[in-house]
Amino acid sequence: MDKKTAILPCNGLDKCAGCVSREIAIKLQEEKNAEIICPVLFRVADARYNKVASENELIVIDGCNTRCATKLASEKNLKVSRKINVTEASKQYGIEIQSKLQIGENEKKLIDMILEDILKKDDSNGENSSILFPKVLDYEIYKKDKFIFRLPKEGFYFNENDVWVYVQGNLARIGVTDYVQQSLSDIMFFTPPIVGSEVEQFDEVGAIESGKAVFEVISPVSGKVIRVNEALLSNPEYINENPFEKGWIAEIELKDFESDKMLLLEFDEYFEKMKRKVDEFHV
Amino acid sequence: MSKVVVIPCSGMGKVYGLLAREAANKVVNELKKDEAETKCLAYIVTGDDEIRDYMNGKKCITIDGCPKMCAAKNAREAGAEVVEELKSTDFAKQMRAMKPGTATYLNEEGWQVVDAIAEKITTIIDEMEGK
Repeated sequence: MDKKTAILPCNGLDKCAGCVSREIAIKLQEEKNAEIICPVLFRVADARYNKVASENELIVIDGCNTRCATKLASEKNLKVSRKINVTEASKQYGIEIQSKLQIGENEKKLIDMILEDILKKDDSNGENSSILFPKVLDYEIYKKDKFIFRLPKEGFYFNENDVWVYVQGNLARIGVTDYVQQSLSDIMFFTPPIVGSEVEQFDEVGAIESGKAVFEVISPVSGKVIRVNEALLSNPEYINENPFEKGWIAEIELKDFESDKMLLLEFDEYFEKMKRKVDEFHV
Repeated sequence: MSKVVVIPCSGMGKVYGLLAREAANKVVNELKKDEAETKCLAYIVTGDDEIRDYMNGKKCITIDGCPKMCAAKNAREAGAEVVEELKSTDFAKQMRAMKPGTATYLNEEGWQVVDAIAEKITTIIDEMEGK
């Protein structure tokens, strides 16, 4: 870490994820001379930390989904370079953490993996961070004659334009759903969004084209495009093969996901909606 | 009687915060599992309605790691009845434990301080229950 790093952990005590959050912060302090910001003291007497928090690269670590640390950073208008949520990371890495308030073997493993990821990103000399996408997805399947509709059960949000988003911290990966790729049939062209461009929620963020039609990808989130799936330029059929995995479209650095989320659908709602759509239009 | 809430300071990166934290953990996980619990101080200070409602009127024992007394002040601010304000530094001084470890690891001296704080909290809880 060439630039000095500040860490704002949740420091939660009543959940194991909070204890993990603290351990990560302390290890970063020891190994990388990062400066820890005490979330309690920062809230009640912020003069102590204002300079540290605003002038350094800030990593925010939340233990649970109450996201106290993230909310605190937002209240103080801090620019966050990286957000980590221990509960979400445990799901992504497939490591179950216990309910006891102690660091056991699983928790140690999770701490090591998160640290490794932070340090790996750090070694990339300022390149944009990449999202930690789950290696295996658990799908719900709906079949209607030849139409097979798959949808990942956890961690994804959807917009009404059949575009999905997977969020991790302040990063998101987007793509189209099974419904789009099946409706379009064989996808032949992929027009990527421009890396570095700023998009608002529901702006166009690339397009895909088959013999049947052109489909504009409508962004489910607002932010900056930091990466596109370049493999699709030569292999747009990846979207047909698996639109949730190798057929992803782009990665976006989020601007305000909490606000964007209000206009997105979660699994249950979107799956029910699509079942009805498939029943009505694909008979 | 509802559980006593033991709230340690959230002091990050300092050994006295760790002493407070470990003592609270020892009480709620081992010594007084059925009579005591802990809540996250970082959450309490957010002023969130849910935690304030929970804390309102609750009997609390706080353990702070420095004179700022964040745990005691904020527990009281959230509406809790703080029956005892402890300071891990006082225990360290009394026991002449001048080098109890680091922010990450407690040495033998540090664990002795933790035991002493936890024992004190246990005694307070026993007294509250009329034992």
